[in-house]
Amino acid sequence: MKIVKSIILATLLIIPIIQASAQQDIKIKKSDFRIEIKEVGFKEAWKDLKQGEKLFSEGIGTFPNALEYYLRGVKYNPNCAKLNYKIGVCYLATDKFYYATEYLEKAYLDDNNVADDIYYVLGRAYHLNLAFDKAIENYKAYYESLTSKEREKTDKDIDKLIKECKYGQDLVNKPVRVIINNLSDRVNSEFDDYNPVLHPSQDQLYFTSRRETEDKNKRFEGDNKYFENVFVSEQAGELWRKPQLVDNKLDSKNNESVVAISADGTMIYLYNGEENGGDILVSELKKGKWKSPKQISGKLLSKQKETTIAFSPNGKELFFISNQEGTIGGMDVFYSKMNEKEKWTDPVNMGPAINTVYDEEGIFWHPKEDKVYFSSRGHNSMGGFDVFVIERDVDGMWSSPVNLGYPINTPNDDIFFKMDESNKQAYYSSVRDNGFGGKDLYKIIFLGEEKELKLNTEDLLLAWNFKPIHDLFYTQPNEVKVDTALYMVGFVTDTKTAEPIKMAKIELIDLDISQIVATGITDTAGAYKMKIPKQKDYGVEVTAKDYLFFVEMAYLSEKQVNDSKIQANFQLNKIDVGSKMVLNNIFFETNKATIKPESAAELERVAKLLKENPTIRLEISGHTDNVGSYRANQKLSEQRAKSVVDYLISNGVESNRLEYKGYAFNQPIADNNTPEGRAQNRRVEFKVLSK
Amino acid sequence: MQIILTFYMKYLKLTLLGVFISLGLFAQENSFEEEIKELKKQARLNYNEGVRFAKQGDMTKAHMKFDSAIMIYSDFELPYLERAKIQLLDNEIDLALKDCAKAIELNDMLGEAFYVRAYIKLLMKDYQNALTDFTHAIQKGYTEPQAFYYRGLMDFEMNDYNSALIDFTMAIDKKYDFAYAYNERASAKRMLGDYHGAIHDYKQALAYDSTIIIAYDNMGSCKIKTGDFEGAIDDYTKAFQKDPEYYLALNNRGSAYYQMADYEKAQTDFEKVIEIKKDFALAYNNLGITKIKLENYIGAEKELDKAIELNAEYGEAYMNRGYAREFLGKFVDACADWKMALELGITDAEKYITECE
Repeated sequence: MKIVKSIILATLLIIPIIQASAQQDIKIKKSDFRIEIKEVGFKEAWKDLKQGEKLFSEGIGTFPNALEYYLRGVKYNPNCAKLNYKIGVCYLATDKFYYATEYLEKAYLDDNNVADDIYYVLGRAYHLNLAFDKAIENYKAYYESLTSKEREKTDKDIDKLIKECKYGQDLVNKPVRVIINNLSDRVNSEFDDYNPVLHPSQDQLYFTSRRETEDKNKRFEGDNKYFENVFVSEQAGELWRKPQLVDNKLDSKNNESVVAISADGTMIYLYNGEENGGDILVSELKKGKWKSPKQISGKLLSKQKETTIAFSPNGKELFFISNQEGTIGGMDVFYSKMNEKEKWTDPVNMGPAINTVYDEEGIFWHPKEDKVYFSSRGHNSMGGFDVFVIERDVDGMWSSPVNLGYPINTPNDDIFFKMDESNKQAYYSSVRDNGFGGKDLYKIIFLGEEKELKLNTEDLLLAWNFKPIHDLFYTQPNEVKVDTALYMVGFVTDTKTAEPIKMAKIELIDLDISQIVATGITDTAGAYKMKIPKQKDYGVEVTAKDYLFFVEMAYLSEKQVNDSKIQANFQLNKIDVGSKMVLNNIFFETNKATIKPESAAELERVAKLLKENPTIRLEISGHTDNVGSYRANQKLSEQRAKSVVDYLISNGVESNRLEYKGYAFNQPIADNNTPEGRAQNRRVEFKVLSK
Repeated sequence: MQIILTFYMKYLKLTLLGVFISLGLFAQENSFEEEIKELKKQARLNYNEGVRFAKQGDMTKAHMKFDSAIMIYSDFELPYLERAKIQLLDNEIDLALKDCAKAIELNDMLGEAFYVRAYIKLLMKDYQNALTDFTHAIQKGYTEPQAFYYRGLMDFEMNDYNSALIDFTMAIDKKYDFAYAYNERASAKRMLGDYHGAIHDYKQALAYDSTIIIAYDNMGSCKIKTGDFEGAIDDYTKAFQKDPEYYLALNNRGSAYYQMADYEKAQTDFEKVIEIKKDFALAYNNLGITKIKLENYIGAEKELDKAIELNAEYGEAYMNRGYAREFLGKFVDACADWKMALELGITDAEKYITECE
């Protein structure tokens, strides 16, 4: 009977999840489940289903066990809407709540009247899985499905759940930067584990668990779960060791839960559900051992429930949770301080700024600061208990509660929050998808402000850096102009003395066009240089003052070119009495004395010589070869000499400066026995008679 | 009187001697000039032969002819210049530099010699002096499009993007299909924030030379700036398809996916980058932060370790590893990483250090 009276600390935590579903224990008939054409397996499946039904009816504590049987049954008939509904409801009561949606949606799709509260449980499933829009939609649908009488009973709850969804949307959109680590399966069990209390030495973690132990395997009738017991785990490096049941002295054999340890570690506060409607007891550490727990002194306790307590860092003030007189609704936060006589003053309800008509629970005072953490179902909770903080300002006023935000808080129960003195980590209990069963203990690591992650990219901006085209720099060169002219160079000297003749004029005549194509003048050294158009045979005329002119063919085509130069030297005969000159370029008609026109240039030169040397007198003589009679040759030679003289006179030369004479073949200059010799002997000469 | 006469005779003799000597020297000088002229002519003839070989692409024979031209007449600047160009093509940088210097010494108005020397300095990454020489080349009349193009490159390397823009435009004005100049001008525009103008120029570059795959990559990065992530991903994909070894495009595509919060695709791309380029620290960094986003903090720390191993001065990687370590609850290590990041010039780290201390 003692057991029945005992009230567990965690009783409050289970109500919202099961409140509706517990009323909706729909019965699955054989006809609902049996598939007419599928006899194989039915018998075993039905047996499992019946076992599941039995466990389901026993209460939430055995829902996980019921689930096992239901899941076997559903293999036979996956389309039984009622079975899927019940599987969904079972999942909702476990830490595997995220599987609920799938089964409930299927149940609804197969039979949208599967249960009166199908919309509600769907709403719960969506709510717990943060699908707030769908949750609101289903909560509203549930509300619409109720009769007006039912609405009177339940509209407040639905309104609250919808508000929780809206708060949830806000909180999920602004997550706080934390890491939430499960304390692992060394500490947590497949059953509920909650209310962590860290020893001030930081190396012991006390907590409450509803796990089965060898000598504690009785279930609490309120929820059909095992009784609450206090466990302690020792720290080993970064990890916590496997927990052990606490000292016998602290163990009441029924429900008890550790709620606080004094700052000096000498007092441990326990909740005991048997005492006075549920009271807080204290045990003192003496000689390393906990004494038997006793009721805390003063007027804090009532006949109602007092569950958790938190002392200020200096131990002179406290908060506790109770539903004693003065409560605004359910469990509230109460305050007391130590008077001058070191007695606790009458507790004061913290008022509606802190307390709500819903439950507050799990109070904790920061070890160093004026910050108090507690959980509440009211305020802007996103569902179940959410953790809030209040802070006292310099004027001693406590702030309004601030939700610690998602993901610390979830639509499930997040409670018994204990912050460490550095504000960098905390412990609490929560139902999360990485749990090991029921509520688990978690460590929260608080990260600082959002830090920008540095993404790095690199581009090769310049094509040249990517693929240099080295010959892009290269531009084709162009040829340069080169002076390729040909020069005729040489010296003009005196025939007798070999002395250089300066200012001698050399004219090169292109016989093809009968034009002078180059002219050169000798320098003082008798040297000349003249650019010639090309290497070929030219006529050349060399003249100089006091010298007989020189006219000859220059056979340049046969000459070697050295450094663009063709060497050609000339010798001139000085004008002296008796000096002679053959006029090679005077031509006559055959056997006649008629001068051919092409002789004009040579005759001009003779005329010019006479004009430039006005004192000289010349004898023009004609000569023949030895072919023919002397007389005829003499006549012809004289006539030819005369023709030249006549020509010169007709060109302005005074007649007294000229004489003519025919020598026939008396003065040969070559051998008359050869044609070449005879050709040379046929000539006109002049001889200087006087200067 | 006797004395005067003697003096007169002496003077007369000296005068005549002077006349003769002068005449002799004149003759000698004249002959020397002729000889020089001839040498010059022969050098020029050899040079021209070299030019003809160069135009035929027979650089060996061209080189020999330029050598001959220099041997015949060592004060002829052009063979030095052309020989320098051939040496440069053969990557004989020092010889090329020496010949360029000689050409400039012989004729400091020879713009092309400044241009070639500038190019050598560009290769030596002596950008400031290269810029000066390119400017001299242009001022001295060497106004080929390449001169403007390379000067633009130097402007760009020295972060003078406005000048670079002008020079690349000059290069394009002189050579309308100068694909490289379009790409570089696009990049100058990009650095100046004209992303749309840059995209246009990258397209032009590709129109004239579709092998410039970096133009796709760069165009993608400009599109990211304009918010066109899908377009950017298309461009990065094209770049990578055209050159499957072009890991930068893949890294960029991964980054685009990352910014679009498609972390799975980002992870795949960064992992591929690492397959291609195992020592590319950026990819490890990016893979690390992608793993942070995927809440794989242990994996992230490992990738960031690798990034730091590859580049011990990688400030951003220290920042990010600090972030991963913070998530792993390794606050002391995280703080040490942020301190290192700050030392490496990541000023953001300062506030984190204050927080963790």
